[in-house]
Amino acid sequence: MNPLRRLLHLFRRRRLEAEMAEEMRFHLEERAADLSADGLPEEEARLAAQRKFGNLGSLQERAREARGWRGLERLAGDVRLAIRRLLRFPGFTILAVVTLGLGVGANTAMFGVLNSLILRPLPYPESEHLERIDRVTPQAPEGRVSPADFLDFRRATGGFGEVAANALGDLSLSEPGEPPDVVPVLRITANYFSVLGVQPQAGRDFRPEEEIAGNHRVLILSHRCWQNRFGGRDDIVGHTIRVDGLPHVIVGVLPPQANDWRYLGWVDLFRPLGLEPEQIGDRQTPLLRMVARRAGHLSREEANSFVTSFGARLAADHPEVNAGSGWRMVSLNRAVAGRDAPVMLGMLVGLSGFVLLIACSNLANLLLARTMARARELALRAALGASRAQLLRPLIAESLVLALAGGACALLIARWMSDWLASRTIDDHGQGVVLPFDWNVLGWALLVSLGTALAFGLAPALFALRLDVNDTLKSGARGAPGGAGHQRFRHVLVVCQFGLATVLLAGAGIFVNGLGELTDRRAGWESDHLISGTVVLPAGVYGGPEKIAAFQRLAVERLESLPGIASASVSAFTPFFNWGEVRKYVLPDRPLPPPGQEAVAVVNAVSPGYFNTVGTALLAGRSFNGHDTLGAPDVVIINQSMAAGLFGRENAIGKRLARVGTGNLDGAEIVGVVADVKSVMPDPSPATFQVYSPITQEPRIQNEILVRTAGVAPALQVDRIREEMAALDPDLPVRQLQTADATIYRANYQLRVLRDMLLSFAGLGLGLATLGVFGVVARTTAQRTSEFAIRLALGACVRDITRLVLGSGVKLALIGSGLGLLGAFGLARLLAMGFPAMELHRPGVLVATLLLLILTALAACWLPARRAGRIDPMAVLRAE
Amino acid sequence: MAHKCDLLQGTLDMLVLRVLDRGDLHGWGITQKLEQLSERALQVDEGSLYPALYRMEERGWIKAEWRLTENNRRAKYYALTRAGRKQLETEQQHWARLTAIIAQVMSSA
Repeated sequence: MNPLRRLLHLFRRRRLEAEMAEEMRFHLEERAADLSADGLPEEEARLAAQRKFGNLGSLQERAREARGWRGLERLAGDVRLAIRRLLRFPGFTILAVVTLGLGVGANTAMFGVLNSLILRPLPYPESEHLERIDRVTPQAPEGRVSPADFLDFRRATGGFGEVAANALGDLSLSEPGEPPDVVPVLRITANYFSVLGVQPQAGRDFRPEEEIAGNHRVLILSHRCWQNRFGGRDDIVGHTIRVDGLPHVIVGVLPPQANDWRYLGWVDLFRPLGLEPEQIGDRQTPLLRMVARRAGHLSREEANSFVTSFGARLAADHPEVNAGSGWRMVSLNRAVAGRDAPVMLGMLVGLSGFVLLIACSNLANLLLARTMARARELALRAALGASRAQLLRPLIAESLVLALAGGACALLIARWMSDWLASRTIDDHGQGVVLPFDWNVLGWALLVSLGTALAFGLAPALFALRLDVNDTLKSGARGAPGGAGHQRFRHVLVVCQFGLATVLLAGAGIFVNGLGELTDRRAGWESDHLISGTVVLPAGVYGGPEKIAAFQRLAVERLESLPGIASASVSAFTPFFNWGEVRKYVLPDRPLPPPGQEAVAVVNAVSPGYFNTVGTALLAGRSFNGHDTLGAPDVVIINQSMAAGLFGRENAIGKRLARVGTGNLDGAEIVGVVADVKSVMPDPSPATFQVYSPITQEPRIQNEILVRTAGVAPALQVDRIREEMAALDPDLPVRQLQTADATIYRANYQLRVLRDMLLSFAGLGLGLATLGVFGVVARTTAQRTSEFAIRLALGACVRDITRLVLGSGVKLALIGSGLGLLGAFGLARLLAMGFPAMELHRPGVLVATLLLLILTALAACWLPARRAGRIDPMAVLRAE
Repeated sequence: MAHKCDLLQGTLDMLVLRVLDRGDLHGWGITQKLEQLSERALQVDEGSLYPALYRMEERGWIKAEWRLTENNRRAKYYALTRAGRKQLETEQQHWARLTAIIAQVMSSA
């Protein structure tokens, strides 16, 4: 019979059983009537009929077997029995389910992140054909390309497919009468959405002619922006809004799925690229991020070789900017996750797997203890002829029930952890990690809980099979059945638990330490009393360097005139974040190095008061001053490392430094040397050379306002600074105006989420391992009660017994931790790969981890040890 | 009364199918019919009959239906299905061959 019908019967069983009973009753009654018709008295006839019929129960049993129910029925019976048995020990059951739930839950949550970040493709049609094209340089492995390079590539593509590009650029949105607001904007080529395969749900897409500056004052809204800012109005297309102080027309609205949380999720407005004529020929500025839809007939390898050969041609044609750089194609699905994501997420899934293993070791211990407690029953059943399968089935059924209950508990825990993660990862634009619970995640949870529960439930079951029936039955009530074998198994489990806990704890410790060191790092500047904020000057209003310079001068003057402000300055970058600009330099009075071998430095442009404001020490020469203006001779200030690297012991002041690719071989005069500053970000530019230019000589639209307050708490000055800036230009919002410490804290939120996860894994692991060693030592101690009693009776001190018990637990912990340290070294190496800027070589942390684990083991063994010491030898030995 | 015979192993199914071929019957009726047809020489064991009935029902040879008897009692009537009829045919042929072979062996010995 097919299994489906059998299953169906199982559900209809009650009815079929009743029918069977009725049918047989009918038979009995008919025969009785038949017999009494032959002349037998009624009572006798009934009995005779029954005699003839035989044992009704065994007949029904055989009838059921004929129905083919036995296998399923037995399974159902086993499961029912297992549930009943588990309910009889609620303490054990809850402990086992929660243990399994925590382990599987943490693991499932991590898998959920991996799933939504890496396994789920982007929601664009045929997203596997979408490629991101990067310019790879030693300084920027995922660099953007310059406008001229992009335009060249677009002209050369031929059969490659379609190429689009975007440029970052926040805009200020200011409606009359309302405070200005910064809106995240992506400037895109007109074909951008058609490359992605997205159509505006209302209005139209951009037109090619709108890419040219002057025609570019049109906008497409993201669905979220349309809903939140414009209330989902139907008549929004054709509406005019003021962006950067100039009117722009809304021409379209995107569908909601166009902004995936991994890609474009943070963008509110889209505007055409609007390249200025001078930008079109620009090969220097890495402005554009390229996205392409590879033609369907091209394989990835063919497409990639096209891209790399184009990059090689660029490097050959324009060595002054492109020497040493190459082009590379990355699948967009892969690229949105981030380069380190697979390693990092794999690490997290692995570490949560460690938690799971520790949890399961406890589970195995619990199940083993239960099995051993039933050893006599099992032995008796074996002696009475139960087969191996019959002995194993109930044990496996119990594991199965535990697995399902634990899996359900795990889903709850995973859901909760995912919600926590999603709420913790919301960025400045309100976009957090989206972690959908799809079939992948559910399947994973089910698979992992079934796998672990069966694997760890099987071990005790196999011990049950190896039981020597004779010995077990003989050893009676006092024996410790199983003896050395399962004792050793338990010890191995505890050693493994401590090994894994060591890896978790040491890894978390190293990371916490490194992260603290990173975010608390204030190298070369002082964060105390420093406030920072960002303003982006709209090109439409602040066209030309003179206007920008005038704004900058005015801003500094007005801020410094405020009471309670010690000094103010304007710069391109803050001292504490990465400087996004990399330049190559040569010394004009020395022989030129071959292309690609020039000195590479990150560049900041600063106002005269900058070093004073941020507290970077001037080591030699002078700071910038009011005479270093646009028309004045070019001057630069370099950092200590660059001075030492280029000039050694020579005095750098007065030497000249020329930027590669500008055509100006005369260069700028070095007028000062300042201390090195270090970024607090985990991924700084590898360049250690730093160059400062006067901001008046290189005005730009993005400006960092830095203000050092005097006396009062800096937070109190924030509003006054905002008011002063609004008085200067009411259309100009100041973004993230807060203390530098607050900005730094905010910036590393993702790392803190990672830290918290590592810490919670470590905490879970340590807690579960402690429980494990406690359980094993307590059990062993209980089994050795009579041995201890004899020792005490023969004159051992209480202290000796205590030491014996403590020693047994700590020995296991020590062996485990020792092995775990090896794993911890590996984890530290892995973390160091992902966060090169972090100082992760921490022998101190490892020692502290070891100490903590030993102390925990001691504490866990303390209770059983004390109990062992309090044994009354007389009472115990008499009870024997 | 003729001498009573135990049923030959494996022939119960065929006999039941044969009986049902003449018309639908309930379990008790099948017992009676078999005894009647064999002139009480065959004793059908209920302990074998019902498992056999359920097995054949599972195999789809017969199907069951609750009906009222002539005495107005509810009983489960079994009826032959098309598959059952085919099965009966096969078993009959098989039986005929088997008895012929056995007879031949017995007579020639």
